[in-house]
Amino acid sequence: MSSRSASAGHCFYSPSCTATIAFGIAYRRQPFPSTGKSKFHSKCLSIGFCCHRTFSYFTVSPTASTMVDSTNKGKRKVSPLPKLNGRLLCLGIEGSANKFGCGVIAHSPAPSAEPEAGEGSSSTSAHARHKNPATIVTVLSNVRHTYITPPGEGFLPSDTARHHREWAIKVISEAVRKAGIRISDLDCIAYTKGPGMGTPLQVGSLVARTLSLLHGIPLIGVNHCVGHIEMGRQITSSHNPVVLYVSGGNTQVIAYSQQRYRIFGETLDIAIGNCLDRFARIIRLRNDPSPGYNIELEARKGRRFIPLPFGTKGMDVTLAGLLTAIEQLTKDKRYRSWDSRASRAQGRGSALPPGEALVVEEDQDNHIANGQEVATEEDVITPQDLCFSLQETTFAMLVEITERAMAHVGAKDVLIVGGVGSNMRLQEMMGIMASERNGRVFATDESFCIDNGIMIAQAGLLAFRMGQTTPIEKATITQRFRTDQVHVSWRA
Amino acid sequence: MTISASHHLLDQAMLIKQGAEAKVYSLDSLLPQPTIYWPPSGPSKPSSTAQIQQTTAPKCSVILKYRFKKQYRHPALDLSLTRSRLAFEARALARCTRAGVVVPHVMWVDDRNGVIGMERIDGWSVREVLGGGAEGEMTVEEEDEEEIGEMEMERSKDQVDSINADETESEGWTALRSKGVTKEHLMTSIGRAIAKLHGTAIIHGDLTTSNMMVRFTPNGSEPYEIVLIDFGLSSTATLPEHYAVDLYVLERAFASTHPQSEGLYAGVLAAYAEGLGEKKWRPIQTKLKEVRLRGRKRDMTG
Repeated sequence: MSSRSASAGHCFYSPSCTATIAFGIAYRRQPFPSTGKSKFHSKCLSIGFCCHRTFSYFTVSPTASTMVDSTNKGKRKVSPLPKLNGRLLCLGIEGSANKFGCGVIAHSPAPSAEPEAGEGSSSTSAHARHKNPATIVTVLSNVRHTYITPPGEGFLPSDTARHHREWAIKVISEAVRKAGIRISDLDCIAYTKGPGMGTPLQVGSLVARTLSLLHGIPLIGVNHCVGHIEMGRQITSSHNPVVLYVSGGNTQVIAYSQQRYRIFGETLDIAIGNCLDRFARIIRLRNDPSPGYNIELEARKGRRFIPLPFGTKGMDVTLAGLLTAIEQLTKDKRYRSWDSRASRAQGRGSALPPGEALVVEEDQDNHIANGQEVATEEDVITPQDLCFSLQETTFAMLVEITERAMAHVGAKDVLIVGGVGSNMRLQEMMGIMASERNGRVFATDESFCIDNGIMIAQAGLLAFRMGQTTPIEKATITQRFRTDQVHVSWRA
Repeated sequence: MTISASHHLLDQAMLIKQGAEAKVYSLDSLLPQPTIYWPPSGPSKPSSTAQIQQTTAPKCSVILKYRFKKQYRHPALDLSLTRSRLAFEARALARCTRAGVVVPHVMWVDDRNGVIGMERIDGWSVREVLGGGAEGEMTVEEEDEEEIGEMEMERSKDQVDSINADETESEGWTALRSKGVTKEHLMTSIGRAIAKLHGTAIIHGDLTTSNMMVRFTPNGSEPYEIVLIDFGLSSTATLPEHYAVDLYVLERAFASTHPQSEGLYAGVLAAYAEGLGEKKWRPIQTKLKEVRLRGRKRDMTG
């Protein structure tokens, strides 16, 4: 238990970059030339304790907005959102899985004084005015704490809930402090109603109800998936994209129509993030900062492509069989686990500090880099090769179903949201696919891809502006809450 | 490197559309247009030239489906997927033809370059005949929220049907009606065609009204026939379950694309049951009821 909380302590961060950040990915997209071709640039990947995030990585040229119009068949509808009379503040509380996140968002009427939040450094403003040009959306704070389990273990609902209980107050007060507001200033409080794990969800809703009663602030229950989509749309200014929502619990291809986010394709068994996490557990990869990120790093060192079952069914995917197949490969006699490779490396005389598996792997690879050809001739399968093959296969499946959905609805844009969406390789593959179709890809960085409080606040505030609130006696949670159950009243 | 024959054909062909998986091209003929030399003294020169062109050109009209190399995929993965999918499509079509199911004839298979050439069907898709929504629209717009979940495959990819559709949907229906065809009769034909297909143990995988063509048969016993197209998602079936899912996909397609003619679908099933025979139909019928209740896409808390 003590080791868990110790490792968990690394992941506390906020947009101001003052807290420690386990990792960060920043990238930018080029503005699109008039041909509509998408260019996708992975700018940098910084692994360390701090990363600088700005909101300027999406430069949307005027061409882009006209493109959106044309894909919308010229009949652009007027946003049903009522005009703002003043600044509205919303606190979002998210705790559907192993992250407890909290964020404060502000919607204010257009030409108002820019540095309204006061604390210049801690407030980051997103000027995405695709929806309602008269609104300025500002992210005042976005704080998150992740519950990290030891290698080879997943997070259990009860332990996760305990983590959330432990951190709820700290995270919320930090978010409020960063935002430079008082809780009583808030206009509404949004919390994740579902989908997710029951007990962790309950912690979030309990905290939300308590705050609501204490301060007399209206509550809004938010669908987690809709939160992801709304935040993605907001920061990427992508008006009506096909959404690929990929996370630990969800794998869905979504498109908007008639005030619903409709699911065109999804996983038939396990989610992509679940598949990656479980694979990380099988090969005993660290869960810090996240298993998926460690797989991504290892996959870059993979050399050998090992065929795995390719399970697309129309616009659906199936991943369970693939996981079984790759698990079998780890029992193959050609397979070299970390341990066997580490001991070999040790035999060569490199001292390995115990308990620093990830660092060890890096060192080791420098050794192996010389002997790489030898290794391939040897006909061995390394964990890196498996990571590489797993990513290539599963992501190709995801890109394929997204492409089907695009062809189906005639959309040009793709928006990737969810934790797995922060994977650079997935973004790259999607970018290539979109450019083959003269489309564009939008993705966000890990602070918005991975579960966070601000997305709940964003979706909650949109609903609040449409006059929706959740009465306290209905402020419950539900583990199964489909994306298409939500009435998206704030979109035309 | 020399250019492959397939690419040479693609260069000549006209790109019709880019589906989900492949680019679809139309080509007048697989063969190069012959240049015929007529001796100047030949008496019947102009008429016979015209004759040759008239007889050859429309008959050899080809649809080329080009599964182009997907750059986002690992080359090894891309090659194996393209090959296996193309080979299966060609094999399924060939097996159907042998078993007497009316499908486009396969005229060209180049699995290395991912090109399959098929006979072009002149006619209308059933969707056009029944007056479904236009191609390329946000199809979901006419669909009910309940419908959309399962309907994802409907009209999804490689819609070869729009190719031949110079006419509007009303024209297709008018032409059929002038031959004395009723909608009920059309449903019966569809049911029979699917029964025949399932009789060969092949399931289509993407049965929608867009993937069924209506073609006139001037010399046949019936005034028209149903041609099933686009076997890109087909597979072989072993269990009643597979057939039932295939039928269910069509059922959802009908419900969402043709809400006004939903009642007609019963006619399809009746003809299907009749075509397949009581013994084969029973287990499928039971399974179909199960599949309808399954509702993976629905909320499970009820």
